[in-house]
Amino acid sequence: MAGTGKAHLRDTDDIILRVEDLVMEFPVGRTGLKVNAVSGISFDVRRGETLGLVGESGCGKSTTGKAIMQLPRPTSGSVLFEGNELTTLEGQAMREARTRMQMIFQDPISSLNPRRKVRDIVREPLVIWKRGLPTEQLDKVDALLEEVGIDPQRAAESQPHQFSGGQCQRISIARSLVLDPSLIICDEPVSALDVSVQAQVLNLLEDLKAKHGLTLIFVAHDLAVVKNISDRVAVMYLGKMCEVAPSDVLFEAPAHHYTAVLKDSIPVPDPEIAVGKVAIEGEPPSPVLPPNGCRFHPRCPAADERCSTEEPQLREIADNHFVACHHPIVGGEAPVAVRSATSPVS
Amino acid sequence: MARAPKRPNRFLTVGSILSLVWLGGIALLAFIPNDWLPFMREADQRVRIGRNYAYGPGVDFWMGSDRLGRDVFARNIYGGRISLSVAMFSIAVGLTLGGILGLMAGYIKGKVDTVINVLLDVLLSFPALILAILVVGRLDVLEINRFWSVMMVLSLLSIAPIARIVRAQTLSLSERDFVLAARSLGASKWRILAKEILPNLVPAMTTVAFTGVAVLMVAEGGLAFLGYSVESPTSSWGKLISENRERIDTAWWATIFPSLMLFATVLAFNIIGDRFARRFDIREAAL
Amino acid sequence: MRYALTRIARFVFVFVIVTFLVMLATRIGSKDPIRDLAGGQVSPEVMAKVEADYPYIEKCEGALAYLPCMGKQYAAWTFDMVRGEMGYSYAQEQTVGEMFKQRGPATFWVGFWAIIIGLLIAIPVGVYSAYKRDSLFDRFMSFGSFATLSTPQLVVAVFLLYAVASRFDFFPNLWNYVAPWSSPVDHFKNFFLPSLTLGIGLGAVWSRLLRADMIMTLQSDFINLARAKGVSPNRVLWVHALRSSVLSLITSVALQLSGLVSGAVVAEQFFGVGGVGGRLVIAVQQNDILIIQAITAVVVAVVVIVNVGVDLLYAVVDPRIRQARALG
Repeated sequence: MAGTGKAHLRDTDDIILRVEDLVMEFPVGRTGLKVNAVSGISFDVRRGETLGLVGESGCGKSTTGKAIMQLPRPTSGSVLFEGNELTTLEGQAMREARTRMQMIFQDPISSLNPRRKVRDIVREPLVIWKRGLPTEQLDKVDALLEEVGIDPQRAAESQPHQFSGGQCQRISIARSLVLDPSLIICDEPVSALDVSVQAQVLNLLEDLKAKHGLTLIFVAHDLAVVKNISDRVAVMYLGKMCEVAPSDVLFEAPAHHYTAVLKDSIPVPDPEIAVGKVAIEGEPPSPVLPPNGCRFHPRCPAADERCSTEEPQLREIADNHFVACHHPIVGGEAPVAVRSATSPVS
Repeated sequence: MARAPKRPNRFLTVGSILSLVWLGGIALLAFIPNDWLPFMREADQRVRIGRNYAYGPGVDFWMGSDRLGRDVFARNIYGGRISLSVAMFSIAVGLTLGGILGLMAGYIKGKVDTVINVLLDVLLSFPALILAILVVGRLDVLEINRFWSVMMVLSLLSIAPIARIVRAQTLSLSERDFVLAARSLGASKWRILAKEILPNLVPAMTTVAFTGVAVLMVAEGGLAFLGYSVESPTSSWGKLISENRERIDTAWWATIFPSLMLFATVLAFNIIGDRFARRFDIREAAL
Repeated sequence: MRYALTRIARFVFVFVIVTFLVMLATRIGSKDPIRDLAGGQVSPEVMAKVEADYPYIEKCEGALAYLPCMGKQYAAWTFDMVRGEMGYSYAQEQTVGEMFKQRGPATFWVGFWAIIIGLLIAIPVGVYSAYKRDSLFDRFMSFGSFATLSTPQLVVAVFLLYAVASRFDFFPNLWNYVAPWSSPVDHFKNFFLPSLTLGIGLGAVWSRLLRADMIMTLQSDFINLARAKGVSPNRVLWVHALRSSVLSLITSVALQLSGLVSGAVVAEQFFGVGGVGGRLVIAVQQNDILIIQAITAVVVAVVVIVNVGVDLLYAVVDPRIRQARALG
């Protein structure tokens, strides 16, 4: 998982977001230690694409999502969004650039101000940016609310706690759309919802994406949720990139051992099928003191000497399928020569 | 899991209704001009019936009369005016100043937070009563009216605890997702403060206002007992208690009634504060 | 260790600021600090003697020179205090040290017995309420403690005076202090009512705290384990569960200390116990500078030291707190 490297970055005209060598560190009190939440990851998203960002909790996927928004600003690295380098924007320019992308949070209740009326919450962005006359603003808000399946009349009278979790998430979605953004970062948008509601919200996101021409980054810990909605999936482990591939390829033939574990942990509604063929042991190591070499090696079934010393680079093992592993399940051993050529191990 | 189950947490209970009625009644009697109340005597009007002696509660004097023949009921109502207005004014000042300090510490953070925290540490390290009598005593030398100096000192005492509460609330609020959402929408710092944070501080502040008034009324009572509250002929409940307590054997009513008034009013403020706290799920704040 | 040092440094800083502010306060509106020290209108000879005894005390004037001038006096006073020279009160004709020796024990016993009474109320009520949660007993005690918390100490004192003292001749106003070892009965007569006045309030605060804490504890795994091992219910309740709640109780005792001082001043005055609080009230009236400064310094020092002690105790006893503090 240790994957650094940029072999998977594409060079086409329709790249809307390009993240390079993103690093996010948080100091641990005054101890001088730091949490290496994200340690140099790169990826890009094409206009209209949905990128799934997957990994277990603590792997830095949510931090990555927030770092793209510059909330807070990443420690280092570059975030190029619609031609603007966000990491160097200041003040007003930053605030304006941020409106082109929006975020949907995990906890639908906490992401809505409990003391305001729902319709005002959705309208707030238009008020901040003084877009249109009050009547136009309200028309737009009501149209969006209806689109996400919330009764505008009720929204005008009620506060968030009068709605269910799923409805609150729909309200959040409406709010994120009101400024007509091009990119929406969904940070585990359904993991706090009941399973029956999850599918509805996912379908809504798909519909809205098509209708509004959106690009989505979909952060989740559950591969099953990402599977259907994403065009391309990136798997993260402990702040590093493991594997990047089109969704179906990743599911058909996972190359990274960690991806295989994630895939196997999806519950299958069939008692005949044995669960957890490839089980991994233990908890992920602390991001304060991450392992050397491949960060997954202490838990990896295929780890050897090399994995504990040398960090694997992302390389293409099949068309559009990239993996950062010395001994992947498919695609053959990593050539030893690569290592000296491009190995700026941090 | 996304939605907390609705607990039957009504604001209006028997206790809180009784409290509201009591406070409403006291406030009405205390703050209505006495011309409108035909049954009220003047606070320092001396009434002699037969001998000049303290009468027990009865038709003539609802709560009896004190050793100077003054109507205890009337004195209680006028005393309540002082007790209530001193406490309410002080808590208003405390909420304003403590609120501003707490907001600055919790929202700006960094060096501002450190400086304010040290200031609050200093204020909280003073034993309250010592600080109070010291300041009131010194303000006497400067010939400042006791009514104002007591309010000043009670305001001063309420700043630090309130600031602590506001700071903690602001810190936790500014971590919440809806503040993050507002930032990602491009809201300015001031707009987030005004629209996202301040409205969410209102429940805690309401609670603090009620429990704070209760605490300050008690504090005023202590000051009055030590002779550091309003000066005669003005009175407060605390002062009535202490000026009559030595005759408790012969005229219990002159001490017991103001004690009951003070107790019932403090209890009523506390009950309402407690209902607010439960309603808004605020942990008991040590004032 | 570094944590301990920063804590201590912070408290020392606060202590210095507080005592310095008290010193400034004694000078507000004072025309002549030497005269205040001498205890009012006295002969020129006495004034001269006071001036000779306290050469460092002077009236500070001028906007720019004021703070440095006061700072110098503060430093001199601190130096005297450290040497154990707390000064002489001309108004009361005794040294500050004698005053503490004479009146300190009374104040100590009022506070000590108040804490004991508070704990004697809080521990049984808190533990049993938590054990029989939502029972009639619990609800009754819960309302009782709430009402008690709302009762001003002054009102408690009045009721005790009316209901107990004035009915029985057992509690006379004993102005002279009796040590517990010289006559336990007189000592009890001396301190029961003032300590009870304070102790009832403390008991109410602590029983609520203990109840909440115990309810959490009783649901935790180690209690279930103890039960599963067959430890008797009483032992589980009073030994295993109570032990883990002791720490928060100690913290609360420390936190209440500052409030206890305020309450003690009122209770001492009310029941005529000749303690330090009464002297402070008189000293403020007379602006007896050295007494005021010494009493506040001692009170603040005790409060601060106890708080540092509890803080450090916490860090030693509870590794989670130690870690949490190390982490930020």
